[in-house]
Amino acid sequence: MGIENMTVLICDDSLLARKKLVNFVKSLGVKSVVEAGDGEASISVYKNNLPDVTFMDIVMPKINGVDALKQILEINPDAKVVMASSVGTQANLKEAINAGAYDFLQKPLEEDQVKAIIEKLAK
Amino acid sequence: MFTQFFGNYLLNKRLVEPQQLAEALSALKTTRVKLGVLAINAGYMTAAQVEKVHAEQQRIDKRIGEIAVDMGFMTLAQVDELFSSQSGTHLLLGQALVDRGAMTNAEFETALNAYKAENSLTDSDFKENDNAKIHTVIKEFYRFDGASDELMVEYIDLLFKNIVRFIGDDFTPLNCEKITSYEYTNASIQKINGQFSCTSAIDAEDAAYIAFASRYAGEELDAVDEMADASAGEFLNLHNGLFAVNVSNDSGVELVLEPQNVIRNEKQTGLTDTYKIPLAFPFGTVTFILGS
Repeated sequence: MGIENMTVLICDDSLLARKKLVNFVKSLGVKSVVEAGDGEASISVYKNNLPDVTFMDIVMPKINGVDALKQILEINPDAKVVMASSVGTQANLKEAINAGAYDFLQKPLEEDQVKAIIEKLAK
Repeated sequence: MFTQFFGNYLLNKRLVEPQQLAEALSALKTTRVKLGVLAINAGYMTAAQVEKVHAEQQRIDKRIGEIAVDMGFMTLAQVDELFSSQSGTHLLLGQALVDRGAMTNAEFETALNAYKAENSLTDSDFKENDNAKIHTVIKEFYRFDGASDELMVEYIDLLFKNIVRFIGDDFTPLNCEKITSYEYTNASIQKINGQFSCTSAIDAEDAAYIAFASRYAGEELDAVDEMADASAGEFLNLHNGLFAVNVSNDSGVELVLEPQNVIRNEKQTGLTDTYKIPLAFPFGTVTFILGS
């Protein structure tokens, strides 16, 4: 597929967190980056763009990240959704993986980890 | 971490003024610890001997270490040791205060020794940040009296580490207050639910709020706007998330965070078991509120 042809969805209620991740993902060569500011919006943005990978915060207004993940998987069972949360407890990790998350990243995000995921999915 | 509490000690003992402390904190990055302060800290020279060496240096063109050796106050090996050792931030703070005339070497010597004695601290404690000792100092300093006081201490312990990690170490904890009401100016608030159920908030006047948010964002922000709120809120969320991870790992207790809210110019009353935890930065005071 190639990194430049990927579409990445970044879903976080923090404008700052979104901005930092958008800038980093673009710096890797991704041209199409779409955003959502809460769990509910992430579902409609997903539907409209069918991104190759989604980075999803957990603690968000309206619908939390794990519930949004479940709804996205109903739209596309093969969706690659990476949970990115400051609350990386074993319970949250287990819940997310059981719900079908592709991976789980603890905030603050390590750029190398984000890069590794994008490069792997670009192949 | 002890350096931050040492700053509070100096304020409480009225040895320095808040403005002097703020200026000294601002100057930490450009301050170089001089031999006199290092020697006092190591116990190799008294403040009086340092003054004598400084007076002698006015008369003869020699380095201060050489003069100290010539005068028999130190050995050459001690001078070499001091120059090759890493000095802790507390010494930078002391030097910055001495440089600005806020304290004399003698006053710094007395205050540092008294602080170390009162808290059973050695010089290496300042450098190594022994976790158990930091915990004790925080517990003694804040004296929370609620049912969750141990978790409150854990919370503050981690908060200070996260502030050092993401904002900077140039802060001084000001005295904590138990409050029943509080008037927020610019605040990000986040509720934590579970066994340690509480409300956490970060609040500051405009200038300090913007400066704090700028540091966390890693870019210059110039207004109390959505980005400043996002930055302050993200710091709080990150800290609370890491706290939840620690609690989960240490005791198996799961805490659930709610999304943060922003409030402005709002007074809240009827608060119980709530503490006001102000921190003085060079750019102003940032207040953390923690309570049930």
